[in-house]
Amino acid sequence: MTRTSRPGGVDVVGELSHRRTAPLTDLAEHAEDVALTCHAMARRFHRGGKLVVFGNGGPSTDAQHVAVEFVHPVIVGKRALPAISLTSDVATLTGVANRVGLAEAFAHQIQFLGEPADIALGLSTDGQCRNVLRGLRQARDLGLLTVALVGGDGGQIAADRAADHVLVARSTDPRVVKEVHVTMYHVLWELVHVFFEQPGALDPGMVT
Amino acid sequence: MKPGDGSSAPAVDVQSLYPFLYAQESNVDSVIEQVRSSTVDKAMEIIELRTRVLDREGPRLLECAAAMAERFAARGRLLAFGNGGSATDAQDLASLFLSPAGGGGPLPAFGLTNDIAVITALCNDIGFEVVFARQIAAFGRAGDIAVGLSTSGNSANLLRAFDEAARRGLFTVGIAGYDGGRMAELDSIDYLFVVPSPSVHRIQEAQTTLYHALWELTLLALGDAAERVDR
Repeated sequence: MTRTSRPGGVDVVGELSHRRTAPLTDLAEHAEDVALTCHAMARRFHRGGKLVVFGNGGPSTDAQHVAVEFVHPVIVGKRALPAISLTSDVATLTGVANRVGLAEAFAHQIQFLGEPADIALGLSTDGQCRNVLRGLRQARDLGLLTVALVGGDGGQIAADRAADHVLVARSTDPRVVKEVHVTMYHVLWELVHVFFEQPGALDPGMVT
Repeated sequence: MKPGDGSSAPAVDVQSLYPFLYAQESNVDSVIEQVRSSTVDKAMEIIELRTRVLDREGPRLLECAAAMAERFAARGRLLAFGNGGSATDAQDLASLFLSPAGGGGPLPAFGLTNDIAVITALCNDIGFEVVFARQIAAFGRAGDIAVGLSTSGNSANLLRAFDEAARRGLFTVGIAGYDGGRMAELDSIDYLFVVPSPSVHRIQEAQTTLYHALWELTLLALGDAAERVDR
């Protein structure tokens, strides 16, 4: 029995730690998808696009985290990039939810705040959130680059290929999914900047 | 085949005509490869850091969660606070207790960064260092739990908040990074968890795990206590 065992001899902290490894190994195996997402996002920023982020529950706080990450870089010398969270305007969120329904909460904001050069980034722990799906569809219709961070088996968002880039945190534990998402968007933020630092890496000519 | 022979010309000949275009293409490919490999490194780095922190802090996490469970069982509430990315973690933490996804009993918790009217009023009238301390003074009670998150451990408004919380008899939990900063010097924090890493991003990622672990272990401790009562 270890020092972190509870009555019954179960090493709960050890189990908690173990549960977090495989989804990150899976992320490492899909690192090329992350790199391609960074490249596509960097090109949108280069064109003057902004990042628009949305999610429900815990992921609503991630949406705000992503926005502050881009707008106010923690690493000195990195340029500020335009980003907004669609979860911060409680008046609009509750207004749309009350009048039309929660399913339209993000699509409505994207319709009126989104521009074709923008990037829409939706987070959904199980990939099933209707309003995230609706937001991504609205964004795609307007010509935005679409990115989804999902979990579990990717849910309907992955099955429908509702985004140009879908990154999946392979876990059924919502907490672990969130942790992998945090790593994903930290990496997206940091490595988008690598493309800015490489002349020629953002020109559309040679890459499709 | 010579350049200009038509569309069937192999790429190598076109490449010799326009070397700068291909220099650019290989540049893009090499940047993508660099970014891919950097992503792998970061994933490996957080696996190692998380394992190290949980191995080291496991026993204290269980103790701290047991103490939090006692406060909740006695009608205590949780108040969470932080700045920037840590503000979003504080909101996530409060909502995790109050409205957990995927099951788990709801417990009373407040995020002290949710009310922008209160935050801007306190900032404008007094100063940013009091935004959390004043809210704790206004509705914190002895027996409540105060949880503050800071990557640097130096945020002035957190230091003030912990002092105010301890003075009022709240149970205090700090989550910090690097070497714990000034939070490590306070005697007003009952349990301080420090994530030692040079990367602010990896620190935040491991901090997320720490508060997820505290939540899960608190619910387990409450379940154990309920079982003891049943017996």
